[in-house]
Amino acid sequence: MGDPKTDEELMLAYAGGDLLAFEMLYRRHRGMLYRFLLRNLRQRADADELFQETWSRLIAARERYRPEAKFTTWLLQIAHNLVIDRFRRQRPQASAEETETVLRNLDAPESEQPERSLSEFEQRRRLQLALEELPEEQRVAFLLRIEGGLGLDEIGEITGAGRETVKSRLRYALARIRARFAK
Amino acid sequence: MNTPRKPDDDLDRLLADDGGELGALYRRLPRMEPPRRLDRNVLGEAARAIHGRPPRRQRWMVGLGSAAGIVLAAGVAWHVGQDALHQQSHEPARSAPTYVPVQPLDESARRKHDNAPAATDAMAPPPAAPAAAAPMEFQHRRSAPPVDKAKKEAAPAAQSAPPPMAAAAPPPPPAASTPSEPFSSADKSAAATSTDAKAKGNLAGSATREQESARSEEAANASLAAPKPARSTTGPAPTSSAELRRDMQLAPEDWLAHIQQLLRQGRRQQAIESLQLFRRAHPDWQLSDELRALSE
Repeated sequence: MGDPKTDEELMLAYAGGDLLAFEMLYRRHRGMLYRFLLRNLRQRADADELFQETWSRLIAARERYRPEAKFTTWLLQIAHNLVIDRFRRQRPQASAEETETVLRNLDAPESEQPERSLSEFEQRRRLQLALEELPEEQRVAFLLRIEGGLGLDEIGEITGAGRETVKSRLRYALARIRARFAK
Repeated sequence: MNTPRKPDDDLDRLLADDGGELGALYRRLPRMEPPRRLDRNVLGEAARAIHGRPPRRQRWMVGLGSAAGIVLAAGVAWHVGQDALHQQSHEPARSAPTYVPVQPLDESARRKHDNAPAATDAMAPPPAAPAAAAPMEFQHRRSAPPVDKAKKEAAPAAQSAPPPMAAAAPPPPPAASTPSEPFSSADKSAAATSTDAKAKGNLAGSATREQESARSEEAANASLAAPKPARSTTGPAPTSSAELRRDMQLAPEDWLAHIQQLLRQGRRQQAIESLQLFRRAHPDWQLSDELRALSE
């Protein structure tokens, strides 16, 4: 029993013609990618379409893959570009005022944070609603972190934003989620 | 208990390996998975890519190619239509007159006419107009098929002409004396026939004109085929069918102006024939007193 291969090794193997390597890679990341897309796009049809498109592009670009790039970052980079294209065609956006009201909740004492008393079911429901209500950039950053497991630098690499900007987006996202729990 | 929450605490917890309490809550959300159909599609595509077959999703390229082909075809059709229009609008000015007398030729003359390859050249204007000669020759070469067509059209007309006219000595081609006239009927009718189909599709506004032209054509045929009163053999030269056909191509106002011009040139007989044809083609047209008197 050898060590399981890394994503990068599997990708290189697939680029060299090893289909089993791709299947393994696909199994590892299909759920994460699908949820990232679905939580961003909210529509199953859109998520399905972009899910397949993401893999198509990855397959088409397999020979250009270089192991210096982390596989997950590369995969999510492709997906992110597609999501942003889709957003540009749809475009609902939250106002700055809304952001400010949300931020006030940050200073609320911990004991007053109402999620403490919410049921498990209600907490999950509110988190889902909060994710849906997040502005695009904040939601993308949040999902890249929490679903993709990426760090600040990787998120910045994918979204084209600086590290501090990513931190700021995540802070805003957290504040909004908290605000949702406070309602 | 009531210590305010620091904004970066949440962020730090989120960036921790497990994502903090929010990460834990997030992981308890429903774990949606892609449908199996997507798995099949993706894995199939990955396999096809390895085995060198084009992925099925590239079928859009076929669609794109088809669309491009349609656009190209439409563009070519439009261009051809424009050319036809352009040709139609310029044809009269540059075409050489080709005249087909309406009188039947006697048998030997007709044979000679049919067999002579340079028949059209023989009908070309005399070298009295050297400036126009070169372009006309060029036009003759270019418009050879239409001339043949005009000849063919003229033949039945000549055959259907009444016997008294056949007895008449073939007059000199009347139009040969009018090289300055603006239109060549052969070219004009050739342009009309060869470009008709193309022009129809492109010219919404030409529909009326075409109807009018068709009506004129019918009238002309009727006029040419109908027995006419016997003329004196020494009478004025009759109008050629080519001239009449050319007249029919004119707009009504231009046609009438042309008739007036014939009158001014002393070609009364031709003016009358043209005017009779005009009245058949445009029965409702209000004529001036002079022309009404001429036609009656």
